[in-house]
Amino acid sequence: MRHENIEVNSGLMILLILTVISIGGLVEVVPLFYLNDTIEKVDGVRPYTPLELRGRDIYVREGCYLCHSQQIRPFRDEWLRYGHYSLAAESQYDHPFQWGSKRTGPDLARVGKKYSNEWHVQHLVAPRSVVPQSIMPNYPWLLERDLDFSDITERLKALRKTGVPYSLTEEEYKANVAAYGKEMADWLDINQAQDSLFAQARNDYDGLPNRITEMEALVAYLQVLGTMVDFSQYDEGYFVEFR
Amino acid sequence: MAHSATLPAEQYNYDIVKKFAIMSVVWGLVGMGVGLYIALELAFPLLNLDVPAITFGRFRPVHTTLVIFGFGGNALFATSYYVVQRTCQAPLANPLLAGFTFWGWQAGVGLGIITYMMGITQSREYAEFEWPLDIAITLVWVCYLWIYVQTLRRRNQPHIYVANWFYLAFILATAILHVFNNLAVPVSLTKSYSLFSGVQDAMTQWWYGHNAVGFFLTAAFLGMMYYFVPKQAGRPIYSYRLSIIHFWALIFLYMWAGGHHLHWTSLPDWVSTLSATFSILLLLPSWGGMINGIMTLSGAWDKLRSDPILLFLIVSLSFYGMSTFEGPLMSLKSVNALSHYTDWTIGHVHSGALGWVALMTFGSFYHLIPRLYNTRIYDQKLIYVHFWLATIGIVLYITAMWVAGIGQGLMLRGFDEYGNLAYTFIETVEFLHTPYVWRAIGGACFLAGYLVMVYNIAMTIITARREEAAIEAKLAAKLART
Amino acid sequence: MFDWLLWFTHPGNSKMFSLLLLFPSFCVIMIYVLTGKQRARRLEAYKYIPFLDEPDDRGSSPNQVQDNERKHD
Repeated sequence: MRHENIEVNSGLMILLILTVISIGGLVEVVPLFYLNDTIEKVDGVRPYTPLELRGRDIYVREGCYLCHSQQIRPFRDEWLRYGHYSLAAESQYDHPFQWGSKRTGPDLARVGKKYSNEWHVQHLVAPRSVVPQSIMPNYPWLLERDLDFSDITERLKALRKTGVPYSLTEEEYKANVAAYGKEMADWLDINQAQDSLFAQARNDYDGLPNRITEMEALVAYLQVLGTMVDFSQYDEGYFVEFR
Repeated sequence: MAHSATLPAEQYNYDIVKKFAIMSVVWGLVGMGVGLYIALELAFPLLNLDVPAITFGRFRPVHTTLVIFGFGGNALFATSYYVVQRTCQAPLANPLLAGFTFWGWQAGVGLGIITYMMGITQSREYAEFEWPLDIAITLVWVCYLWIYVQTLRRRNQPHIYVANWFYLAFILATAILHVFNNLAVPVSLTKSYSLFSGVQDAMTQWWYGHNAVGFFLTAAFLGMMYYFVPKQAGRPIYSYRLSIIHFWALIFLYMWAGGHHLHWTSLPDWVSTLSATFSILLLLPSWGGMINGIMTLSGAWDKLRSDPILLFLIVSLSFYGMSTFEGPLMSLKSVNALSHYTDWTIGHVHSGALGWVALMTFGSFYHLIPRLYNTRIYDQKLIYVHFWLATIGIVLYITAMWVAGIGQGLMLRGFDEYGNLAYTFIETVEFLHTPYVWRAIGGACFLAGYLVMVYNIAMTIITARREEAAIEAKLAAKLART
Repeated sequence: MFDWLLWFTHPGNSKMFSLLLLFPSFCVIMIYVLTGKQRARRLEAYKYIPFLDEPDDRGSSPNQVQDNERKHD
């Protein structure tokens, strides 16, 4: 065996390169899909409702993830600033994940219910009117544009294909009733998607009772972030077993 | 070397190389311009102008896509098509298909940035293209691989030169990464949901993201280095045996390191530790490459005094050495705890992207373009001007980002004597303003140098065309007389 | 009897496993590449390839272009 054999044979070289570059991914990425303790077993984590999902789509559209992370690390300062460190379970229905890679603004993994709806609306329209030193762009158009929910059924169906438990059949619906209760199961039912979106919009997140704006969806999404798991139910040692 | 039979320059396909090189310069100009603008947006948020298309969140992928795929990608197409022809002493296979890769790639980059500004994005960093564009890019890429391998197979030189190994690894790895990272379920033409979720999705994305750096911005540019540094220095590479070791080690180790982007997150500990281990091992092949490049000049260091192009290439290798030292350092969990989520990462990326990738490209282009047009560079002095503007720009940029990143990292973990947080988040944002302004100044310097290069290259091409026209006119006159 | 195989299935051991696997192969490659005077001379000979591309007066025609790999089999 001489190295020259590779140097004169492009086919052999391609084969060897493919072998060598595949190993890392096979060892590190593939096991994450079948190892059972990758995702913690906790109660409360549910798929996003149709309104929250549309809000999440807008979060993605505006590129919020480029300045805000959604991933709290297990450090004391982050605990004090943001709350309990993020669990893998909490983003198990996030297609795609929004962990982010940069905090030009603060982490948003547990921003839900920390501020009022009115604060969020005001802050998104004109951030410097509530936080003078902020460098966030203004997003006034969120309040001007009506939310497009015409393809909400298609969106839920696509997510169902990836494995998110939105219900389409009677069986799936019943399973959701058992897992999340009747009211939430209705909201996660693809057949009632538009109705559930209207129903949730009655909470009036955007302060405009007669309209469903993009702001409505985005604030609904922000208000649910990090609120699904009740950490008082668990002993800290429990999560460590999964790390 | 009895086998070798050289081709006269006319037999090489230079036309496609010229096209890619020119588009690289054009996209680079736009991309760096956008980069400067978003840097200013962070310093002066008023500049977002309440226009959705140019807010930071939508404009930042425009910047990264233009500089990575527009500037870097086109430079790689140009140089790989040039190097594979010259080192194989064979013309490019299938010129028609090569033309398709050109137009396909420009369309991909152009449509990409337009869709980002419209808010159509997958939100996967450096892979924001929605699924129809992903499929189109895959098609272009397969053609690229086909052309490259076919040209290799037609070579008149029994051995495949080391530069081609790197280009080949880059093409193959990019194909694999692109396909697996972009698996998604479409909703409509403009929207899809990623097939994976949460922790698996994050790991797939950063396996891609890190190796986009490793193969697109490193291995491929090492291929460039292995051809252009020896050619410009007029000396063979320092050690061919070192290149063998460093090639296989580099492509093997890179693929393991992606998890270091996810230290201390919900990613299981074993992946994160494994990634950190391999990131540190990665220092060895990286420095192997740097030493091989720089030592090529050993015994002829005086050439640095008279050749500004070599200056670009060697300083580029030095920045490569620096950022491949900084990288493993930042992949240590304890360092990462401070550096992650801060501007230190941005600075690190730019010491690689501006210092290594861009300087290597500039050096190669100054070597390449006069040869493509059969002329000399328009103004040698302007290369020096470009070099100093670029170097000062990079130093300002990365220093500002060190201050911003380390400063913010320390402030965020600061406690007062009672154990309360010493600073609120917004106080750290206030602190960032000054470094952000300096960063923008550094970027502006770099861009100014770039403009000098654009002028120099444009004048070189115009002069070459004029010379050619003059010779043709002379010939025609001669013919008419006889 | 095969209990020791379980050791490999534990992800925490992957670091040790890969180290045991990779370090020897790295050493073998190093020894192959860096030892042997004859081999060294041979392997280093290829670094002059970039300098063979300048056109010379032999002026071969494009018709001579061939599939270099097929020629050998």
